[in-house]
Amino acid sequence: MRYLRLLALFFRTELAYELEYRTNLALELLQMVVIVTTSVAAVLVLFNYTTVLNGWDLGAMLVLLGCFYLVQGFGELVLQPSFEKFMEHVRLGTLDFALLKPASAQFLVTLRHFQVVQLAQMGLGAVVVIAGLPRVSTLGPAEAATFVIALVCGFTLIYALLLALSTFAFWFVRIDNLMAIYWSFLDAGRFPVDIYPGWLRVTLSSAVPIGVAVTVPAQAISGRLDLIGLGLLVVGTIAAFFLASWFWRLGLRSYTGASA
Amino acid sequence: MTDAVVEVRDLRKTFRVSERQEGLAATLRSFVRRQRRDINAVAGITFGIEAGEVVGFLGPNGAGKTTTLKMLSGLLYPTGGEARVLGFVPWRRENAYLQQMTLLMGNRTQLVWDIPAADSFRVLQEIYRVPEDSFRKTVGELTELLELQELVHKPVRNLSLGERMKVEFAAGLIQSPRVAFLDEPTIGLDISMQVRIRRFVAEYNRRTGATILLTSHYMDDVVALCKRVIVIHHGQLLYDGPLADLAERMAPFKVIVATLHDGAAADLSVYGTVVARDEGRITLKVDRQIAPERAARLVNDLGDRLTDISVEDPPIEEVIDRVFSGERVGTAP
Amino acid sequence: MIDVYRALFVGQIQAASQYRVQSILWMLFAVIRPVIFLAAWVAVAGAQGGRVGSYDVRDFAAYYVALSLVANLATSWNSYEFEFEIRMGRLSPKLLRPLHPIHYAVVENIVWKMTTIIPMLVVLGFIAATFDARFRSTPAHLALFVPSVVLGAALAFLAGWVVATTAFWTTRVHAVATLWDRAAFIFAGQIAPLALLPGPLQTIALVLPFGYMLGVPAEILQGAVDVPTAILLIAVQAVWVGIFYALLQVVWRVGVRQYTGVGA
Repeated sequence: MRYLRLLALFFRTELAYELEYRTNLALELLQMVVIVTTSVAAVLVLFNYTTVLNGWDLGAMLVLLGCFYLVQGFGELVLQPSFEKFMEHVRLGTLDFALLKPASAQFLVTLRHFQVVQLAQMGLGAVVVIAGLPRVSTLGPAEAATFVIALVCGFTLIYALLLALSTFAFWFVRIDNLMAIYWSFLDAGRFPVDIYPGWLRVTLSSAVPIGVAVTVPAQAISGRLDLIGLGLLVVGTIAAFFLASWFWRLGLRSYTGASA
Repeated sequence: MTDAVVEVRDLRKTFRVSERQEGLAATLRSFVRRQRRDINAVAGITFGIEAGEVVGFLGPNGAGKTTTLKMLSGLLYPTGGEARVLGFVPWRRENAYLQQMTLLMGNRTQLVWDIPAADSFRVLQEIYRVPEDSFRKTVGELTELLELQELVHKPVRNLSLGERMKVEFAAGLIQSPRVAFLDEPTIGLDISMQVRIRRFVAEYNRRTGATILLTSHYMDDVVALCKRVIVIHHGQLLYDGPLADLAERMAPFKVIVATLHDGAAADLSVYGTVVARDEGRITLKVDRQIAPERAARLVNDLGDRLTDISVEDPPIEEVIDRVFSGERVGTAP
Repeated sequence: MIDVYRALFVGQIQAASQYRVQSILWMLFAVIRPVIFLAAWVAVAGAQGGRVGSYDVRDFAAYYVALSLVANLATSWNSYEFEFEIRMGRLSPKLLRPLHPIHYAVVENIVWKMTTIIPMLVVLGFIAATFDARFRSTPAHLALFVPSVVLGAALAFLAGWVVATTAFWTTRVHAVATLWDRAAFIFAGQIAPLALLPGPLQTIALVLPFGYMLGVPAEILQGAVDVPTAILLIAVQAVWVGIFYALLQVVWRVGVRQYTGVGA
């Protein structure tokens, strides 16, 4: 409960700051609209030549693209700013402040900073999902519920991935390159994972779970996800979260044991 | 020692660093077999601090003061020995302990750069669960003591270094801690700001009775604030006692620097031991007791030839080095 | 001037050796994007019996491999860096030196590409093999590829600088640069080979400069256009380079005046 209040406070503080820079905000929103629109255009260009792509029709593809922007938007909303700040803290030695607060260090570090304008990216993603939905299925409570669960799992999986990657900062300090790899793989999530060659497909479903994080919610809202699939996703997500958290705390222990 | 706020017994911290010589051969060799060296940053220190004390940790860079502070604040696990602060084992970082302490590091900021300090205060209030009325009271006091009225509503990045330090201080005290660890709090600040910060710390201690441990390599910080000082060098405790006695006991001499028009030729050895001669500037070592008298004589005798004169304490590094090497500092003839 | 460039090169190569790992990883980043779209087109072709227009799967592979290579050789990132330099106050000292800041960027650009070209070729070779790429180019094509990619790189570079100079007026170059990049995304041949862009988009693509940065050299390398057309396209590239060169002169001069007028 208290952590929710803190989260809201972090969010509100950032919001107040971003609202001050109206031109900036407007430009960022414009950027987002342009990016999403051009991505939709890309899909339309592809579907100019076909009605089906590996079993996904236009509506399903749009739903997938929308889910992609929902997940990417979440990542850029809170994960990217926070983890970038975290790496800076390790570099400058200011991580110590977070460690000495009477609250979970992991929470204070990884969910601290927001880029509120990215909510618009998530919003646009939702719009695209809604645009594609009528062609695919009718939205019932079951689909909506599984969609939300799958989406939350998707968010958590990306969080777990970033958490695990960022842990290397404790040992190597500069890991911008590692993060760059992550972002490049993330981009592959805009298309269904099964179009990629084997090695990429496997990577996107496991080590970089963007494929799972995006595709499964898309399937869920289209009514193509069964309970077993959902169950596996939830279990996998919980496992990934605890594993990543454990790894991060390991890095933290090493940091506090070895720093001068 | 039972009521002590801080209890430290034989505290040790050893770091293992890998060493590598230069050159390709050595690089390749180190791939196969790392050469490690142990650094005893803190080599067994023992002391206790009572509530309300303001204690200075003095020592040159690399002496082990910051390492000690980090262990007491909970950021580092020691290699040996024990310590308790407010009854807690610091490196367990229990929330109940963290609630009552604070760590302030000079030239490192915990405030978010882009937002006004006031917003950061609110976040801290929430993290430390400070009730609204205490919060207002505390912030009010801090604002008054540190003269923050103009500063708290500006984004932190728009503040000058000195202003930022003041605001940092306030941020570090939102929770009204019982123990405050200050690591090099005045580093990088100009003289007037250093003075202001020192005055603030003294006043804060007076008003709240908070126990304060500060590390510094500036003698002035310690002189201004601490009745008691602990000297650390090479990880060992060299002196623990009243400040007043330290200079006397450790280095019973003063340094007189006289600048003359014709300094190159002047012979001032009658006034004290000539230590250095740099164009017009002549540095003398003089026994502490007689230093004022010697300085007065210098001024009298030299008159116009003298363009500048200063009477200083010996540099702390020199004092400590001499102490560590067992030497008593000589007296003037 | 040659000596100046030599000195700059040496300095830049030393700097680049620090960033070896970094450049390789950034290059990886640049390669994933085409793979994504290649896979998509392969899937589309698969659903359409193996071809889309005049492209079969192997043609797509060749095109995207060519595009990646060209993208690596023609990439320019000044827009983002320029704003950073201004903010950090690093531009002013450069303005005071008897050397136009653009020369630093030219050298940095070239050195970066030199360090990434070998690993890039390895990765692209792997992709070409995986997808069984087939290049339709003749030796004439390859010969024409060289001037084409150089012009494409010059065009991208100059255009990037024009975008970068907006930093003199606004601190939000990032937004402008993103809009520019997104336009390139569609019209430079990343989403689809220019020939496959639907009618109106294709017309626009032929008129805008983006296609001439990446798409044209890529198609020449792949062999999608015949030699006479290639020569014509190269001529158009040269025209665009001329246009942006002139534009840059104007914009830069105005921009510097504005910048130094406000207090650099």
